[in-house]
Amino acid sequence: MSARPARYVGQEILRREDDYLLRGEGRFVDDLPAPIGTLHLAFVLSPHAHARILSLDADAALALEGVVAVLSGADMAALVKPIVAEIEFPGYRRHGRQVIAKDEVRFVGEAVAVVAAECPYVAQDAAELVEVAYQQLPAVVRLEDATRPGQPQVHDEVPGNLYFEGRFATPGIDAAFAGAAHVIRERFRSGRVGGVPLEPRGCLAVPEHGDGMVFHSSTQVPHLLRTALAQYTGQPESSLRVLVPEVGGGFGTKAQIYPEEFVCVALARRFRRAVKWIQDRREELLTDIHARDHLYEVEAAVDDTGLVLGLRASVWTNGGAYSTLPFGCTLETTGGARMIVGPYGITQYAYEARAVATHTTPAGAYRGVAQPTCYMAIEGVMDRIARRLGLDPAEVRLRNMVPTASLPWTNVVGVRYDTGSFVESLRQAMAMIDYAGFRARQPADRLVDGKYRGIGICSFTEVSGTGAPGWRARGLVRLPGFDSGIVKVEPTGKVTAFVSHAHSGQGHYTTFAQVVADALGCELADVRIVEGDTAATPYGTNTFASRSAVTGGGAFIRAAGKVREKLRRIGAHMLEASVEDVVVQDGRVHIAGVPGHGLSFQQVAETAYAMNTATLPEGESFGLEDSDFYDPPLVTMANAAHIAQVAVDAEDGRVTIERYVVVHDCGRIINPMIVDGQIQGGVAQGIGEALMEEMVYDDSGQMLNASLLEYLLPTAADVPNYEIAHIESPSIDTVGGFKGVGEGGVIGAVPAVLNAVADALSRLDININTKPLRPSLLARLIREARARPG
Amino acid sequence: MYNFAYHRPGSLAEAERKLKAAADGRLLAGGQTLLPTLKQRLAKPSDLIDIGRLAELSFIKADGRSVQIGATTRHATVAASAEVRKAIPALAKLAGGIGDPQVRNMGTIGGSLANSDPAADYPAAVLALGATIHTTERAIAADDFFKGLFETALKPGEIIKSVSFPVPEKAGYMKFAQPASRFCMVGVFVCKAGSGVRVAVTGAGPCAFRQSAMEKALASNFSAAAIESVKVSPAGLNADIHCSAEYRAHLVGVMARRALTEANG
Amino acid sequence: MGERIEVTLTVNQRKRRAQVEPRLLLVDYLRHELGLKGTHVGCEQGACGACTVLLDGRTARSCLHFVAALDGAQIRTVEDVAPSPELLHPIQQAFHRQHALQCGYCTPGFVMTTLELLAGNPDPSQTAIRRALTNNLCRCTGYANIVKAVTAAGKALREGSQA
Repeated sequence: MSARPARYVGQEILRREDDYLLRGEGRFVDDLPAPIGTLHLAFVLSPHAHARILSLDADAALALEGVVAVLSGADMAALVKPIVAEIEFPGYRRHGRQVIAKDEVRFVGEAVAVVAAECPYVAQDAAELVEVAYQQLPAVVRLEDATRPGQPQVHDEVPGNLYFEGRFATPGIDAAFAGAAHVIRERFRSGRVGGVPLEPRGCLAVPEHGDGMVFHSSTQVPHLLRTALAQYTGQPESSLRVLVPEVGGGFGTKAQIYPEEFVCVALARRFRRAVKWIQDRREELLTDIHARDHLYEVEAAVDDTGLVLGLRASVWTNGGAYSTLPFGCTLETTGGARMIVGPYGITQYAYEARAVATHTTPAGAYRGVAQPTCYMAIEGVMDRIARRLGLDPAEVRLRNMVPTASLPWTNVVGVRYDTGSFVESLRQAMAMIDYAGFRARQPADRLVDGKYRGIGICSFTEVSGTGAPGWRARGLVRLPGFDSGIVKVEPTGKVTAFVSHAHSGQGHYTTFAQVVADALGCELADVRIVEGDTAATPYGTNTFASRSAVTGGGAFIRAAGKVREKLRRIGAHMLEASVEDVVVQDGRVHIAGVPGHGLSFQQVAETAYAMNTATLPEGESFGLEDSDFYDPPLVTMANAAHIAQVAVDAEDGRVTIERYVVVHDCGRIINPMIVDGQIQGGVAQGIGEALMEEMVYDDSGQMLNASLLEYLLPTAADVPNYEIAHIESPSIDTVGGFKGVGEGGVIGAVPAVLNAVADALSRLDININTKPLRPSLLARLIREARARPG
Repeated sequence: MYNFAYHRPGSLAEAERKLKAAADGRLLAGGQTLLPTLKQRLAKPSDLIDIGRLAELSFIKADGRSVQIGATTRHATVAASAEVRKAIPALAKLAGGIGDPQVRNMGTIGGSLANSDPAADYPAAVLALGATIHTTERAIAADDFFKGLFETALKPGEIIKSVSFPVPEKAGYMKFAQPASRFCMVGVFVCKAGSGVRVAVTGAGPCAFRQSAMEKALASNFSAAAIESVKVSPAGLNADIHCSAEYRAHLVGVMARRALTEANG
Repeated sequence: MGERIEVTLTVNQRKRRAQVEPRLLLVDYLRHELGLKGTHVGCEQGACGACTVLLDGRTARSCLHFVAALDGAQIRTVEDVAPSPELLHPIQQAFHRQHALQCGYCTPGFVMTTLELLAGNPDPSQTAIRRALTNNLCRCTGYANIVKAVTAAGKALREGSQA
């Protein structure tokens, strides 16, 4: 691959997706034509966090004209098996979930009944009329309370509300602390947030050909979804086709498989009618997975130069009421514990990691997963080391980083960093934001024009492109790791390329076409990408966790390479040349160095498809397509440095991000424009998470802000311009040299913003160890600090 | 949302008749608050009487002494009005800062006042400027209009026709908008007129209210410095997930000082 | 109660007569009765702007309007922005060139907001652009490229109108 210069990979190619989306022609799940006679679903949601269902009276609902059925948890249990996340990991306790709660509800928003009606308005009217009698039970809501004695139990199978408990320690950890000049301790508490894509979820199941089923869903994981639907509803996998329409943002939330999807398929089977469900925003906020409800207690053993000799981390994550497919409720737990060492050469490390059960919305995978919070912790520790020792925070990081010369490096939990630029990224980011100049100008009290000014850093490694061994290491035994591609030169010479992924805004039609065109040696305009259709595309792990460039790109390079060889063999035969003398380039098969002496793809394809009088080489098969799978290494490590410069209003506590710099290294870049777009969007989400977003629960388990008027998403007026640069350290462990980029934005932004605010307020002796940093919180901390004597 | 009967009267008089005849009638003007309420099934009116496009209720008139604004005049119209900007620039600024552009395109002054949302901007101006609310039945002084959370002096069947604002010597408005949603957490309108100094606060309590301690302090010295020492008590102020009562009390002082700086600027 | 209301309105330059239930929302009418699916529903409460259309030339959230109340109104949706099946409007072109969209769900709303902004202010400052864009939420782009696109579209429209 590296022998041939890339023609398209690395270029800022404008997106193919834009034209139809800009015209309003993008077809999202709610835009699909539903067959006449489609049943529309509305779910009856529990208003209680924890209650026993005593009775359910659907008479009034059934009396409404157009209502076809109302099904309870018991009714659904006959159609769908309890969902069990199959995690195999020491210390994990399995438990099941009925797709509709049968006897007991475990969070506000859990469905207790489903209405099927001939029109969506009627379904909603009827859902209001379903009378459910509950016996309210005490709920456990806070992570801190979950494992205390005497708390309500969420599941019988999960004693003490401990879903998972894991430990790790290197042999020298105690010695590292015993001999340390300084021990820095801190507790970091992260508020719960959600992905909140602009398009809520939805699905449409359409029976066909008797026992067949086409299932349209706004999912990031069509293949995993299809297997799960087959496994739990009994619909044979071979007669189930999952089709993914345009998806209006996913961010991981749509990479889980949700109860409504099973219900939709089961009812379409039961009634032999099409069944459609479109989520509303309140349901989205109450029932889509939440994330980041974490507590880190960290201590670092440090020498006089700021070098970290050892690190202990206690990681607690709130798993909510259930484990959700396919990641379960421990992804954040194992992730935080394993990723916290980041770009630092920490060799002595110990963790205790726990996931707890509470009567709250289930936790799962949201962009960045554990990384925004584990870097909130480790990067917060780096800043505290600097403050304790009177060093500059950037200097402390630089001293602790694994230098590029030491790569490849295997970190303390066994993850290999093949290539990277930890030191270079930070140094370049510092240069871009004039870090030294800012420090020189920053007054001792940090106060300029009534605002406290600060600067904050996050240097991090970013887990991407995880392969099967990486998922196994975290107990996810049913998560494959590989993705796959099929590359097909059609008889007319045009190229169709099928991949196991499914997009939700990433621009796959453009970027994958760039990869295929280079790998095959054809014109970009001749390649069309097909994805999100289980009937057309080969099996794979699908699109989440910054995977697609690494796994889909790798699979395409392999598959295209095989087709390219076949083009050469048939072309050489037709040209009466030896294969070694023939090259495939710019859409032609020709004698090396003599582009004029050659054949078009169409001419070669016509031979391959027996559409001319030429013959195939001896032993060559018909057709001109091939496929391949690609399972990347344990993980593929990207890295980056973010620096935020903020102003905190001394009176009202409002934080303004004045500058924001990113230097990112995702290895070989396919399309810089799209990479920058991923970073920008992620940074905005991180700013939201750091400053305003939080799912707020009261003590009874009610979520207090289940609307977009109260769950605050950043607007154009809340975010800065972003200054982005790249270093390219191609991966030596992956096919193609790509690393992922989808999550880096949010991972870096949360700690960088928090650290910048902490820096701005550092002279007031204010400890920033929680998020979000609402103006009300900061104004109070500033008022209290100023009122303190001295 | 529940269904209802819809009426589009051709005149104010007809609107009044329809409203009085309905079992549980509600007026529909811009709909920016009413529709979300209906969609959440928080209200179930029998009838909606649409006055949003009654021409007789949409106007701005100014003479040297006052500015009169018709009840269905949109926020964007007030914000852009040359007459309002000249006579009471702080009022135009307030209207131009309500919600976001779409809310300003559709929302009306009459709707805002009749709803008396604790986070609405207009009540601060009405109260601080000492405006008069003209209804189908009477004229109501601002001081008598706001009664509580979503509660006003309006009687069933009574419709706001217009609001007249006396032109002050000086006025200023400053609010702390919640990040992202732009809801008003605390807004303070300060006004100095021949009749004296008035300071009105919105967003902080169940409805807009006057801050008499600040008014006293400002009577002789209309400046930010004059209220430095005025303590605002959090007692009775709103608290929600974004903002405690203490923070609101603190913001009343901060916004008042900023509004004064603006009024004097 | 709930008697149907007759309205006549203009949608994308075509006159439409409709007999509607009073509670029928403009967004549902556009999507389900006229098949104009480019206008999206994101929050149902007037917070996200995905359903933005032009109502008598001004941006409006189609999820917060009853069709019954729109007799005589002029509605323009994203489907009526591009001049032809081959060409995009300068605003759409700018969004394309600046990579101002990812999933595209919020995009029609942003296009409508930009139409209104540039009609009233052909050369807006970055602050004015960001203020106007608070009409709409985007979860993918982080807004920077949308701001760039609006700036570029303003320039293109100014130069186009001078030519």
